[in-house]
Amino acid sequence: MKGIVKGLGVTLKSMVEKKITYAYPDVPLEMPDRFRGIQHFDPEKCIVCNQCARICPTDCITLTGKPNPDPEKKGKVIDTYDINFEICILCDLCTEVCPTEAIVMTNNFELSTYSRDELFKNLQWLNDNNTNIRKENNSAMDKGGAK
Amino acid sequence: MIRTEELLLNVGPQHPSTHGVFRIIVKLDGEVITEATPVMGYLHRGTEKLAENLTYTQIIPYTDRMDYVAAMTNNYVICNAVETLMGLEIPERAQYLRLIVMELQRIASHMLWWGTYLLDIGAMSPFLFAFRDREMIINMFNELCGARLTYNYMRIGGVKWDAPDGWIDKVRDYVKYMKEKLNQYHDLVTGNEIFLARIKGIGAYDGKTAIEYGLSGANLRGSGVQWDLRKNQPYCIYDRFEFDVPVGKNGDCFDRYNVRMEEIRQSLRILEQAVEQVPEGETMGKVPRVLRVPEGEAYSRIESPRGEIGCYIVSRGKDKPFRLKFRRPSFVNLQILPKLLVGENMTNLITILGGIDIVVGEVDC
Amino acid sequence: MSDENKESAKPPMTDEERAAKIKAAEEARAARAAAKQAEAAAAGGDGEEAPPKQPSPNQPKLDRIVQLITEHVNADAVEESFINERDRDLPYVIIKAEHWVTSAQLLRDEPSLHFNYLRNLSGVDQETHIEVVYHLLSLDHVHEVCVKVKTERDAASVPSVTPVWPTANWNEREVFDLLGVDFPGHPDLRRIMMPDDWVGYPLRKDYEPLDPEV
Ligand code: SF4
Ligand code: SF4
Repeated sequence: MKGIVKGLGVTLKSMVEKKITYAYPDVPLEMPDRFRGIQHFDPEKCIVCNQCARICPTDCITLTGKPNPDPEKKGKVIDTYDINFEICILCDLCTEVCPTEAIVMTNNFELSTYSRDELFKNLQWLNDNNTNIRKENNSAMDKGGAK
Repeated sequence: MIRTEELLLNVGPQHPSTHGVFRIIVKLDGEVITEATPVMGYLHRGTEKLAENLTYTQIIPYTDRMDYVAAMTNNYVICNAVETLMGLEIPERAQYLRLIVMELQRIASHMLWWGTYLLDIGAMSPFLFAFRDREMIINMFNELCGARLTYNYMRIGGVKWDAPDGWIDKVRDYVKYMKEKLNQYHDLVTGNEIFLARIKGIGAYDGKTAIEYGLSGANLRGSGVQWDLRKNQPYCIYDRFEFDVPVGKNGDCFDRYNVRMEEIRQSLRILEQAVEQVPEGETMGKVPRVLRVPEGEAYSRIESPRGEIGCYIVSRGKDKPFRLKFRRPSFVNLQILPKLLVGENMTNLITILGGIDIVVGEVDC
Repeated sequence: MSDENKESAKPPMTDEERAAKIKAAEEARAARAAAKQAEAAAAGGDGEEAPPKQPSPNQPKLDRIVQLITEHVNADAVEESFINERDRDLPYVIIKAEHWVTSAQLLRDEPSLHFNYLRNLSGVDQETHIEVVYHLLSLDHVHEVCVKVKTERDAASVPSVTPVWPTANWNEREVFDLLGVDFPGHPDLRRIMMPDDWVGYPLRKDYEPLDPEV
């Protein structure tokens, strides 16, 4: 019996402790800055180097570029940019390799929808997802990261 | 005359106490199990096949998903295998950070086991206690690398992020906090007579059997075999720290329970020493931009919370492995289950299965 | 460059042709790798400029294992043996399939070896042949060895060591399931990961899924 009483003592003691639960859906959760949430994409910065699509382990980024409309400038500009959040595992590799930080992580993580098709996010949506953008994007790794 | 008939009972694949999708077919004679056949593969994702078409950096997030409650050690084993093959030097600070996260992970994983195991055998409140304290580790990881379970934290040659300001101090505080809580855990459960009646003497095997079945981790040490890779074949920088390897005597569920609880204490001890020693410096070694692993093969093995996790790489000099094989401790440890179950009462099935501490993501890989 | 210190203890008599083929393939690969290294020295490693190899500290152990097997099992049971320097000087022994079970028993029971722990069992499809790789460990002596057994790709078969190390049971089932290696002597050889009616062996290099939609 001693053991059970001892255990009850612990339970009773923790009854008066401070609450540690979150009231999650009612009160939004604050994530730390490094949190890897849904990406924000900035088409202005993108140089269509394709590195993000190449590093992605699940092949969920599709992008196309078009020649720069301004004939003075060389290079391409981004035309379409889609991420399929059905298979994106938010692994952070695309943001790690992007040389211009055109694609960055945000702290938003709520993605649930009623239809899987809605998980296919296009350039516009990703561009509009511009709240809580991660501040610290340079990690200990060199830009360009490991391949 | 009373006659009993054999009954085939299907436990799983969806069963709350199998912690995943794992099925076991038991043949019952009355309430006694006469035969048990585990069926797995419901969570088989073909990680090994997928890995053949991925670069080494890309494989790391996949390893997170094998043993999803101890992803840090999985990260480490693949990085370690590649680093062994390439002969890379890891900066000191990265080594320490790796060690700290691995030990924190061990505590978190054992705590998850503790909570769910007691939940399985009918105690609700330990689960809440364990999750309260595990949550703190998870939050620390979240601050460190931006994810709560699938960390993808280590990279070949180092770690991705340096510790944020004050993070090391948080670990220090946590160690202090947890030491106290661990005593509370023991008060809460370990002496409880009902609990002892449930697990003492259940599922016992001796050290010789454990070795024959290739068990590792607490399953091996619980039956008195002094074998911990951190001590016996040190990797990372474990040889710089003082800690003991707890072993059991009888090899029953209670001994395995004790070994795991004691391991939490030892991990706290390692952490205590490690946080005082963390040097400043780089967290990423010199790594070529395109990782081409020289031709050859290597087997790297470390002590994960569940036992010996190994990674066998066969490289042909490409940036992708030719063959990658993971030795998953849960898979190997589970093999002894049919042997343990025969002759046991049906109610002990959950006690024994929980005592082995499997993670189905790792069993099926 | 082939970086292992290859010294054939007993060149195989019957498999000369195959060995030659493998050698040729290996040389071609080595040449390619060397070319690559020349242009991008970044790939690291102790390639060509390595000083003359010193005998590894594990060389005596390897010699002892080979000697014991040749003495007690069969004079030509050992196909090849070398030290894998990349993997912490792990001794490698390649044993012929027909002598494998007796060798395994010897490795386990001989007091000076006493490899009582089979830590890993994997299958590798090397395209020319299939290898089953055993990583053995002795918990008392804390020494390791890696044993390989080669087999043909079609009708692949390696005698089972489940009677020697019970832990091989599910591991062999896994190799059977994913690579299609038969293990005669195994008590219960069924598929383990894939469904029972699966066609083909997914980890083979030439595997084509029957139904690409799956
Ligand atoms: S987070 Fe990972 S999975 Fe998602 S798009 Fe980026 S690279 Fe791909
Ligand atoms: S890596 Fe960055 S710059 Fe390059 S294509 Fe992707 S988003 Fe654009």
